[in-house]
Amino acid sequence: MLRLFEFAGRPFIYLLEEFGRILLFLLSIAAWLFRKPFRLKEILKQMEFVGTNSLVVVLITGTFTGMVLAIQSYYGFRKFGGESLVGATVALAITRELGPVFTALMVTGRAGSAMAAAIGTMRVTEQIDALYTMSVNPVQYLVVPRVVASIIMLPFLTIVSDFIGIAGGYFVGVKLLDINSGIFMARIYDLLVVDDIINGLIKSAVFGFILSLIGCYKGFYTTGGAEGVGKATTQAVVMASVTILVSDYFLTAVMF
Amino acid sequence: MIELKKIKKSFNGQKVLDDIDLTIEPGKITVIIGQSGGGKSVLLKHMIGLIRPDSGKIMIDGVDTTTLGEKELNEVRKKFGMLFQDAALFDSMNVGDNVAFPLKEHTKLKGREIKAIVEKKLLQVGLKDVTHKMPSELSGGMRKRVGLARALALDPKIILFDEPTTGLDPIMCDAVDKLIVKTQQETGATCIVISHDIDSTFRIAHTVAMLYHGKIIEKGTPEEVKATGNPVVRQFIERKVEDNNF
Amino acid sequence: MSKFSAEAKVGLLVVAGIVILVFMSMRVGDIGFSRNGGYSLYVLFDSVTGLAEDTSVEIAGVEVGRVGKIALQNGKALVTLKIRPEIRLTEDVSAIIRTRGILGDKFVELIPGSSTSPALAEGDTIKKTISTIDMDMMMSALGDVANDIKKLTTSLSNVAGGQSGEDALRSIIDNSREMLETLNKTVQENNEDVTRIIANFSEFSEQLKEMGNANSEDIRMIVANVRQASEMVEDLMLGMGEITAKINNGEGSLGKLVNDEETVENLNAALASLKNVSEKIDNGEGTLGRLVNDEETVENLNETLESINDFLAQQERFKTYLDYKAEYLTDTSDIKSYVTLKIQPKEDKYYILQLVDDPRGKKTVTEYTRTDKNGNTTYERVEEVEKDKLKFSAQIAKRYHDVVLRGGIIESTGGFGLDYYLFEDYLKLSFDAFDFDPDTNAHLKIGADFSPIKHIYLTAGYDDFISDNDTDSFFIGAGINFSDEDIKSLMSGISMPVQ
Ligand SMILES: Nc1ncnc2c1ncn2[C@@H]1O[C@H](COP(=O)(O)OP(=O)(O)OP(=O)(O)O)[C@@H](O)[C@H]1O
Ligand SMILES: [Mg+2]
Repeated sequence: MLRLFEFAGRPFIYLLEEFGRILLFLLSIAAWLFRKPFRLKEILKQMEFVGTNSLVVVLITGTFTGMVLAIQSYYGFRKFGGESLVGATVALAITRELGPVFTALMVTGRAGSAMAAAIGTMRVTEQIDALYTMSVNPVQYLVVPRVVASIIMLPFLTIVSDFIGIAGGYFVGVKLLDINSGIFMARIYDLLVVDDIINGLIKSAVFGFILSLIGCYKGFYTTGGAEGVGKATTQAVVMASVTILVSDYFLTAVMF
Repeated sequence: MIELKKIKKSFNGQKVLDDIDLTIEPGKITVIIGQSGGGKSVLLKHMIGLIRPDSGKIMIDGVDTTTLGEKELNEVRKKFGMLFQDAALFDSMNVGDNVAFPLKEHTKLKGREIKAIVEKKLLQVGLKDVTHKMPSELSGGMRKRVGLARALALDPKIILFDEPTTGLDPIMCDAVDKLIVKTQQETGATCIVISHDIDSTFRIAHTVAMLYHGKIIEKGTPEEVKATGNPVVRQFIERKVEDNNF
Repeated sequence: MSKFSAEAKVGLLVVAGIVILVFMSMRVGDIGFSRNGGYSLYVLFDSVTGLAEDTSVEIAGVEVGRVGKIALQNGKALVTLKIRPEIRLTEDVSAIIRTRGILGDKFVELIPGSSTSPALAEGDTIKKTISTIDMDMMMSALGDVANDIKKLTTSLSNVAGGQSGEDALRSIIDNSREMLETLNKTVQENNEDVTRIIANFSEFSEQLKEMGNANSEDIRMIVANVRQASEMVEDLMLGMGEITAKINNGEGSLGKLVNDEETVENLNAALASLKNVSEKIDNGEGTLGRLVNDEETVENLNETLESINDFLAQQERFKTYLDYKAEYLTDTSDIKSYVTLKIQPKEDKYYILQLVDDPRGKKTVTEYTRTDKNGNTTYERVEEVEKDKLKFSAQIAKRYHDVVLRGGIIESTGGFGLDYYLFEDYLKLSFDAFDFDPDTNAHLKIGADFSPIKHIYLTAGYDDFISDNDTDSFFIGAGINFSDEDIKSLMSGISMPVQ
């Protein structure tokens, strides 16, 4: 009986521990965020890595998301003659949800995993120890720039993705499915408000924070050599993706 | 001056350091020898504050580093340079940036001045025209020498070498030995070297200490150690395998 | 590797992002309805069921503003309408709440009155509302109407049947003919009065035109005169309305009328005199006719109104602001303070004059390089800091929707800046770049101002963040600002007890 409790309780306790560790890690990030020197070069490097280097992936996913959304909603709306709403549906869905979430998931896969792998490798090859011996705090040098860069760049990637997604929807809706272009855009202007876009971007900044925090955390506490690095990477992607989707629900509930 | 007082450390119940008392004389080269897996690297990491002991004190110039916070510890660490056993080069930076890293972090030197120092230090360890190579493009021995150049870049007061000559060819070994001696003489630094090379140990050491089963079982000048009566030390320096040990 | 540096690539993405954001918010957003764009009008409705804030206000289907606050006043709904600045509404405009689409979204429609009526300005109330009746109220009313019609028809047939009814009808018709004749005479007699008024009126406008930048006292008088004149005209109209009402009260004996020859004759005569009146109006004979037909008068009137408008508009637009801001630099625990004079001749354009007290002072760095005999190079840096020296800024700024571009002298060096306003100007993000010394990094500053209440704002940011002199610092601070109007009212408030 007792063993049953133990068996059931262990993952729960493990989860609690993990949560506590992330919180402590977060505190040290917060502490180092405002301490000199500010590593603008590193931040810039990470902005390039997280931002511009993810752009192509984000553009492709964004375009096709908008396109498929246009097709699907078109078949739905056509049943009761509401084709004119396709544009607005695509625009709303993309700016509020799909833009921020898909962008964050793509960046998690590309950059979040790379963060875990890079920092994990540095951990197991004593590079993090080497930083300590050179009086450079690894949280400040490695983690803070990644987190800051992700928080800054995710909204920019998302706004580009929003735009290209709506453009993709426009292409399918207007050029392929022959919806009147004027009415397509008019409905978007009618129903989409600036707050939809802004709230989506705020969300994406939160997602950027989550994916970089978890990526760095998993890398920073890697043990067990090359295999450990692999594990940390996988765990980082899974955990960040799940956290992004869960927090998306709560953010949406709070914002809209 | 570095003093270790009653240092104890175990990992997952495995005792690695057991009541270590060791005083390192300043301005001298101290070589620590001992079995593989005996805890030499762990001992070295204690000195620079990378590992905290389970109990005991580590005094660096009269300050107990085991009680210090990160900020004060960083100040203490600025006196140190350390060569890791596996070099621990930053694999995201090329060789030049690796060696330049401590200079960029802790000095206000201009780019060209840093470049000059980097070239000089690399030349000292016998490396030329490698500044633009990435660590992954180097051999193990080359990486070790880049690590050495990085450890020496700031001309630190205390230098920790974890097996500086392992993996180098005999001529390079000799060159590195001479570099350590020369650096020590020029800067008056305190050097602590971990070595498996008995010949080189006796060539460069002012003091030799032997770590065995978590304790310092022998410490003295090379002559004293050579003349020791301790059978474990004798066996170690004579490089004999005793049957009952394996 | 690629041709572009990391900076260039990141910069490109950031700029593209900002451009897209601004573009999308401009296309989608409520352009021109920021806090200081447009003006507010009030309107009282009996019921505003289903009307939401921030829905559109339209004229002829074109959006001219948005619904602002909806509040309760004496059991009625007081609705604030935020109207675009370029839309001119007159006092006789009327407001209706209308329904759009099957989903029944409510919006406010304005029906413009005549273009000659006085214009509405900030804070005025729209007096005419046309109440829309709820669906069920309408249904029950329709039922009542049907009943009334039935009753009417019954009594109509009763009246038509009897001799007494016929007599009554005839005397009524006689009366009304008399009435119309008197009316005609009245109009003729009053002719002179009205003519005089109009003469005065055009004289005034003439004067006003000459005055050009007329002083407001005169204008107020003129406006008062105009109003008086129009009230007289209105009275005239009212009299006519009463007469028509009396005719209408012929109490439903129309059936009989058609058969009685004398009645028809009388009616004809009455109509003839009515026609006479309107013909006179048309030919510009009567006073009313003059008013409507005399082109010069109309033109004068229009010009007058225009010049009044221009004058008022200009007074309104030219604004000055005084601003004081203190920033606490977290790094050195110092206070950097700014006194700013903002002169705004146009809504979207202004000048900034600013004095800056920077505790870090102005730093000048001189660098010497010496080479000795052994070929060793030594560097020497001489830094001079002039403390207690005020810096000076003078900038020109132009606003495009939510973005302000600035440029000129910033802190005694050349520079430029960019502001981005969010959430109806409650939040301002700014970026400044100046001190482009080729030897050192430029002075860059980012910050955010948040203004939770009027006149007061909080600020935070990161100053000189790519500095190579270690002068970079986070800052937090606060500021206050006043416009010239605030200062004026403040002054008069202070001087009152003295009087
Ligand atoms: N972080 C750690 N966690 C768990 N055990 C550790 C850790 N670091 C070292 N050890 C253990 O401590 C012991 C000593 O390791 P150490 O690296 O000091 O050996 P060493 O004397 O340097 O050996 P070598 O000469 O082979 O480098 C080893 O048994 C090792 O397993
Ligand atoms: Mg070792």
